[in-house]
Amino acid sequence: MESAGMKIVIDDRPVEVEEGTTILQAAKQAGLHIPHLCFHPAFVPEGSCRICLVEIEGLPKLELACATAVRDGMKISTQSPRVREARRGVLEFLMADHPLDCPICDKAGECKLQDYYQEYGLFEGAFKEAKEKRDKIIKIAEKLILDRERCILCTRCVRFLSEITKTQELGVFRRGIHSEISTYEDAPVQNNYSGNLVDLCPVGAITDTEFRFKTRTWFLAQSESICPLCSRGCNIYVDYHPGFTRIPGTAKIYRIRARENLEVNGRWICDFGRYGFPSLEKDRGDKILWKKEGRDTIMSWEKILSLLAEKLRPRHRTKNTSNIAVVANTWMTNEELFLFKKIFKDDLGLKKIFFADPRPGSGDGFLLQAERTPNARAAKEMGLELNPVNLDDLSKNTDVLIIFGPFLADLHDPSSLKNDLDKIRTKVLVSSHRSGLESYVDFILPASGILEKTGSLTNRDGLVQKFSAVCPPCGDSRPEWSVLIELAKELRINAGYYSRLTQPEVILKEMGKEIAFFR
Amino acid sequence: MIRSLGYFWELIKGSLITARHFVVNMWFHTLKLFGIKTKRRGAVTIQYPEQKKALASRHRSLQRLLKRQDLKPRCVSCMLCVTVCPSECIYVEAAEDPDPDIQKYPSTFIIDLSRCCFCGFCVEACPEDAIRMDTGKIDLAQSTRQDLIYDLDKLLK
Amino acid sequence: MDIVIVLIKIVLALVWFLVLTLYLTWLERKESAVIQDRVGANRASIFGIRILGLFQPFADAIKMIFKEDFVPAFSKKFLHTLAPFLSFFFVAICITAMPFGNDIMVGGRTISLQIFDANVGLLFVLAMLSLGIYGILLSGWASNNRYSLLGGIRGAAQLISYEVALGLSLVGLIMVFPSLKLSEIVQSQGGLLFGFLPKWGVFLQPLGFIIFLFAALAETKRVPFDLPEGESEIIGFFTEYGGLKWGLFMMTDFMEIIIVSTLLTTLFFGGWQVPWLSADGFQFPWGGQWQMARWLVIIFQVLAFNIKVFFFCWLQILIRWTYPRFRYDQLMDMGWKLLVPLSLVNIVGTGLLLMVIK
Ligand code: SF4
Ligand code: SF4
Ligand code: SF4
Ligand code: SF4
Ligand code: FES
Repeated sequence: MESAGMKIVIDDRPVEVEEGTTILQAAKQAGLHIPHLCFHPAFVPEGSCRICLVEIEGLPKLELACATAVRDGMKISTQSPRVREARRGVLEFLMADHPLDCPICDKAGECKLQDYYQEYGLFEGAFKEAKEKRDKIIKIAEKLILDRERCILCTRCVRFLSEITKTQELGVFRRGIHSEISTYEDAPVQNNYSGNLVDLCPVGAITDTEFRFKTRTWFLAQSESICPLCSRGCNIYVDYHPGFTRIPGTAKIYRIRARENLEVNGRWICDFGRYGFPSLEKDRGDKILWKKEGRDTIMSWEKILSLLAEKLRPRHRTKNTSNIAVVANTWMTNEELFLFKKIFKDDLGLKKIFFADPRPGSGDGFLLQAERTPNARAAKEMGLELNPVNLDDLSKNTDVLIIFGPFLADLHDPSSLKNDLDKIRTKVLVSSHRSGLESYVDFILPASGILEKTGSLTNRDGLVQKFSAVCPPCGDSRPEWSVLIELAKELRINAGYYSRLTQPEVILKEMGKEIAFFR
Repeated sequence: MIRSLGYFWELIKGSLITARHFVVNMWFHTLKLFGIKTKRRGAVTIQYPEQKKALASRHRSLQRLLKRQDLKPRCVSCMLCVTVCPSECIYVEAAEDPDPDIQKYPSTFIIDLSRCCFCGFCVEACPEDAIRMDTGKIDLAQSTRQDLIYDLDKLLK
Repeated sequence: MDIVIVLIKIVLALVWFLVLTLYLTWLERKESAVIQDRVGANRASIFGIRILGLFQPFADAIKMIFKEDFVPAFSKKFLHTLAPFLSFFFVAICITAMPFGNDIMVGGRTISLQIFDANVGLLFVLAMLSLGIYGILLSGWASNNRYSLLGGIRGAAQLISYEVALGLSLVGLIMVFPSLKLSEIVQSQGGLLFGFLPKWGVFLQPLGFIIFLFAALAETKRVPFDLPEGESEIIGFFTEYGGLKWGLFMMTDFMEIIIVSTLLTTLFFGGWQVPWLSADGFQFPWGGQWQMARWLVIIFQVLAFNIKVFFFCWLQILIRWTYPRFRYDQLMDMGWKLLVPLSLVNIVGTGLLLMVIK
């Protein structure tokens, strides 16, 4: 950078940038925002919207910041009256045929056009002519709806489909004022990344049916998280509505968006992850239950944990733990897997440790992985063997069984599951979702969903990514890490050690000390 | 001492004022009792449920939702009223209308009057002039909370 | 026979007292309303008949009777219940000493229109009034509530302070009508002063009257002396009371008004005396004369007593709806630095005057 450094001045701010940088990027480095609609960092600049105009000293005309590379000694002004006037003009043309849809437009609140109008526009429309009428509800994909009136023809969508997915389902058709975005001969957009078009479109021209009309963007609290649906570990935003006080069931997650992380997922996420979130919120278990003589009794955490500890403690004391079996899963966070290993493998010395994970699907060669669980790598790094559940081994000579997660139900057919589980006296289920396993066990402990807990996940490439809770735990549920710690305390094994581990961060630090991988 | 006497005088003056009010008002009350009509009345009270004052034209009373010509609600469920409402008493759920000119209409529209503070912000915020507070209805008390929850049907009436 | 007569007298006096109390609550509502250009309670009705809200006291009473009789946890249950009864009792008993009229002759018997004519009648009334403090103190303490306790303590301090001025202000009066017997005090107010002015206490003891008026107002614990209650700040010693027990406290308040009014009437405004009316008719100072039957005179006198009492009740309500509450230091200043010295001056002055006249 130093060698080929180019010294330029943007709005009296001197910056030094590499050769070949565009003015827009240079301004970004200098901490200035130049408005842009068609430019997107992932694509080659196109220069169609012309809102990024800036003034360069010595040049008679305004230039496009997104497409002009800097030259040494350039003096650029991004806010001069001429520039502002030009942007106003550009906006007025963009708006000339733009509908007044903001009240029903799902982009409103995060729409670039609205933002720039607030900043540079604020004009009374000078066009007295009626606005052009265009098709407003065009289904361009299974979940995508195009509104041609709102489209500003920035072609971001077209470029995404030709440069990133290379499927090229959309194009600009016809000329001049009649130009429009369209699919080829009604062949819909069909790829696993179509949802990104919604994020990408700077206005509300492309909306998805999952989010369409459900709520307004400004109600949503946006939190950073990690997608748990495959081992890629894509970075996401989770948009959560805290709910209306008097209306039950209004607190919920409304959408998932891609979060930029060039190391993992670039700027995109797949549709499998984006539209997979309803399954995370559906069928949640929220009550602590003890099926005492066939009747469901609602319990408190303190009571049920001490009850469980009573069952495990004598076996631990007599070092007779061979008839305890546990089933884990790799949806558990690093911290939880670590605690799991500590308690069941190291402290109790169990031999029968199994893993029940969702069945693998197929990858798509880009982001989506075949492995549909977010944390298998961590289990391997910890030295846990991912033994699949073998029902015979599981039930033979087993007195106490603890199952973490709901996935076991999908892996075996119900009748053999019931047959084998019936042989075991005490069965405990720690699960965030209802799966059918409830009917076979005696203790049901609700666990928090992955978006309700704080912790870290290790993706397939070994990258440890921290995330924090998006929403409060559902009902009485608690994250597994806290259940595990409380259980360890009740068992009175290594009390000093576990009572120190109060937060996921502390646990992660402790892991770093013990396992080099997590350092 | 002199000061206290001054206070004393003021005390007497004060009670003379109340006594004057008493005597004057009593006079008019008595005249009325004997059926003599006077321009002035003994009391300024309005006997509310029997006597009613005309509401000012900008008075904010019970909300109503306006209708389009085809009797569909004018509301496009933009939720701006939900956003602006300081008491968080409006709840709107949107649904898709097949008509591309309408697109969005409220499938649920609830105003919880037990929370409403009658600020009128919802009316100000509405971009469609779909909600107004001009029904003139002010006797809104109910004996159950449920009756204070106004839904789409009640609001469109 | 005597016992029957006394019983009848007790019943009559109590009925008079309680009915007046009941309607004083109505008067309070109405008078305050008229003062404030309002109408006042007028909705209570029986079968749609309202008559100026005269049924309001009954509505109030019914409401109070049917309210839950609540004793807060941690309070001293017995004392908590006892307190309102004490308050009520000590005020109610004062009425026994009040002379409603001159003696009457029925069937050869002389019956005084007074239940109990003790020769220390005045002291008896003062003593009973001071005993009322126990009700306040007990309620404040037994409720186990800080606000109640504050109210009770405030009440005790205020009543004890003003008791001093109250007692001292009457010393001059006792010197002038050398008696403690209330009937005698009234009797001696029958004469004329300078030939035309009724020989009422207020003319003989103007300063004493003013001090007594203030001190007595303070004794009733009503605005502007309502610090024990202080409804805008501490709610006072009856914070923890509800229903009928609270009703007793409220009635005590109104009964105190009546007792103060009867005292003012008896001591300073000639009791049942009507100016220039003697046993057989009016004798006007300008020379006229109007013969009257004996029973008519008695009726006149009893009426006069009642009218005077009503007037003072009215006046006290007027005062209550005129002034704001005193600050505590002002209250204490007025009691100890103004009223007590003034009453001492009054005593010395009266003594000197009496000496000179003798
Ligand atoms: S795209 Fe933006 S400006 Fe256009 S209607 Fe939607 S929110 Fe409004
Ligand atoms: S649909 Fe959106 S992204 Fe595509 S060209 Fe139109 S405005 Fe741009
Ligand atoms: S602001 Fe108006 S149009 Fe929008 S939801 Fe409320 S009533 Fe409907
Ligand atoms: S009047 Fe105010 S409080 Fe009531 S619904 Fe409208 S915005 Fe909400
Ligand atoms: S951002 Fe430069 S022309 Fe659109």
